Amino acid sequence: MLKAEHIIKTYNAGKKVALDDFSIHVPKASVYGLLGPNGAGKTSFIRIINQITQADSGEITINGQKLNPSHIKDIGYMPEERGLYKNMTVGDQLLYFGELKGMSKNDALTEAKKWFDKLHIDQWWKKKLSELSKGMAQKIQFVVTVLHRPHLLILDEPFSGFDPVNANLIKDQIIELKNNGTTIILSTHRMESVEEMCDYVALIDNSKKIIDGRVFDVREKFKKNIFGITLSEIDENNFANFKSKYEIFNLSTANNLVSFDVKNDTNQNNIISDLIHVGKVRSFDEKIPSMNEVFINAVSNNS
Amino acid sequence: MNHIFLITKREFLTQVKKKSFIILTLLAPVMLIAFGAVVGLMFKANESHSVIEVVDKSGLFKNQLKSDDQLKYVFVSTADEKSKINNLKGNESLDGILILPELKNQNFAELQRNSRLVINSKIGFDTKKKIIADINDVIKKEKIKQLGIAETQLNDLDKGFTLKTINVSENNKEDSDLGFGVKSGLSILLMYVTFMFIIIYGVRVMRSVLEEKNNRVVEIIISSVKPFELMMGKILGVTLVALTQFLVWITMSVIGALVLNTGFSSIQKNIPGGNEELADKLDVAQIATQISHSLLELNFPLIIFVFIVFFLLGYIFYSSIYAAIGSAVDNETETQQFTLFAILPLMLGMYGSFSLMNNPDGPLGFWLSIIPFTSPVAMIARIPFGVPAWQIALSIGLLLGTTIFMIFVAGKIYRVGILMYGNKATLKEIWKWIRG
Repeated sequence: MLKAEHIIKTYNAGKKVALDDFSIHVPKASVYGLLGPNGAGKTSFIRIINQITQADSGEITINGQKLNPSHIKDIGYMPEERGLYKNMTVGDQLLYFGELKGMSKNDALTEAKKWFDKLHIDQWWKKKLSELSKGMAQKIQFVVTVLHRPHLLILDEPFSGFDPVNANLIKDQIIELKNNGTTIILSTHRMESVEEMCDYVALIDNSKKIIDGRVFDVREKFKKNIFGITLSEIDENNFANFKSKYEIFNLSTANNLVSFDVKNDTNQNNIISDLIHVGKVRSFDEKIPSMNEVFINAVSNNS
Repeated sequence: MNHIFLITKREFLTQVKKKSFIILTLLAPVMLIAFGAVVGLMFKANESHSVIEVVDKSGLFKNQLKSDDQLKYVFVSTADEKSKINNLKGNESLDGILILPELKNQNFAELQRNSRLVINSKIGFDTKKKIIADINDVIKKEKIKQLGIAETQLNDLDKGFTLKTINVSENNKEDSDLGFGVKSGLSILLMYVTFMFIIIYGVRVMRSVLEEKNNRVVEIIISSVKPFELMMGKILGVTLVALTQFLVWITMSVIGALVLNTGFSSIQKNIPGGNEELADKLDVAQIATQISHSLLELNFPLIIFVFIVFFLLGYIFYSSIYAAIGSAVDNETETQQFTLFAILPLMLGMYGSFSLMNNPDGPLGFWLSIIPFTSPVAMIARIPFGVPAWQIALSIGLLLGTTIFMIFVAGKIYRVGILMYGNKATLKEIWKWIRG
């Protein structure tokens, strides 16, 4: 749906590089995670899509069409620095933002009411924002972002400042929007908060893309063939044999249960058949790296 | 365009709906009147009523020193001077004793040397001055009498010289002093209105920009509209707020004037006709007709045209500076060093304009009303006196050009500034934004 090719963005007359030859491809109706530490260039990229700033070079297309001002009403953007007007009522505020995105007043009204029903907040319509709690304001913020039925939703640090209940509520809404065909870009430096939602990720560090692709593929690529094992009722002799055959580490014993990790680059079924003689297998699982670990590995590989 | 309209509408509605706005708009005229009344009362309260006993040994001053509201002369016998002075101490109904010695051989210098004013408490500076002036008058009259000049001759001597001024470039119109006064009054009024308007509402634009920046709402808005549209919408919205406030005030003062007017005329009718008052009224009426006459002589369509053009252009010019300032800083305390840039030129224009009243067509007046930074106030100050058409055209052209340029520059600062959180921009950085 969205393609960015060879984007270069610099600040201070070229002295600071924010994006260096950055290219990604965001498929339609997917959740795409832009992951990387603060200052990596995520927000710069998002601002370019939102046409708040312009790239020095490179091209962005949406559905094959070069990015232009007509796309703005198709994009819903929740910036990292978020906020609303404190002295306006919630209702007036929603209508105002809806109208700014080109909706008619009636259209904005019906759509807003729909969301208010969905999030069970319809009694807030006439309240001023200053009367609402922080959690309430966050819900309104989300409604502002999705009110105009954008086809592309861009959420910068979507869950920062959300309490767990609200975060889950918003997560559900994001998944539902995706299932209805909306393309979603999430940007965050807290990778663990989004990895289970994302279909695709791109890892960014120091203005460069390090790796991108399906979440499954990226993790597969960085797995180290390490398996976590827990056994009970150990036969010490066979265990000694096992230790001489495999490289084991992180050995620990608790409540008659022995846990350890094994590194094995061949077929893991061989381990299982050997383990049968060592003791009773309580658990056996392959250690797939988390996005955080992938990121750390990718960065160290890169440099 | 639609975006600018939406932003203007929101800006206008939120500001007008604020309680502080409603209260201030309705109360300001009342407060102003109350303030005036309090100041008036304070002056009144400070007025002294002094009673002075006069011991006149010369006999010159009897019936010549005239008492009035503030100062009462009581002539007493020339005997017992000492006991009178002793009595003065602690006497609350008496403020002082004026002792005037005998006049010997018409030696007025000696009279002065031997005259004394004995007081029992501090006597006001004004009162002392008045006593001196009164004595002086009497002595002067006496001296003149000795010179053998009749009273009528004397009055003739005092008659001042008036010079009729005729202006050939204005249909040989007579240029009266009163006319000049009326023009100066109008000039100062229009200039003040413009100056206050620009400062008050310019700062309002700045606050509104800052508020959006501090609320962090600005990034959401500029993902929907161009920063320039947001800035212009804001400036226009605040303009509408100001015009609304003006309209309310003008309506209130018109209604107030109507009410007061009928009130006064009914009071006047009820007063059983005193001749003095009638004469006073006649005088006032005469002056009023003269004032309205000289007002009517002014070229009002031109004045109104120039006022509106310079007022609006000047306001937009300075508001865009204020908007840029609001975007470049993080909170209101940081605005101070920058607002100096916006206020100083205006002040220069205003204080310069006071001195140009003396010579509206002089070089100072010319330059102040041509240079765009000062022309919004200076040209408005000059216009009641009449300004050549080419100067008006030149000044409008220059102001329009610089206003457009300033909006452009402010737009650039604004565009970068509104997304800079947490650090105050230096002038060097701002210069970079303008070039970038």
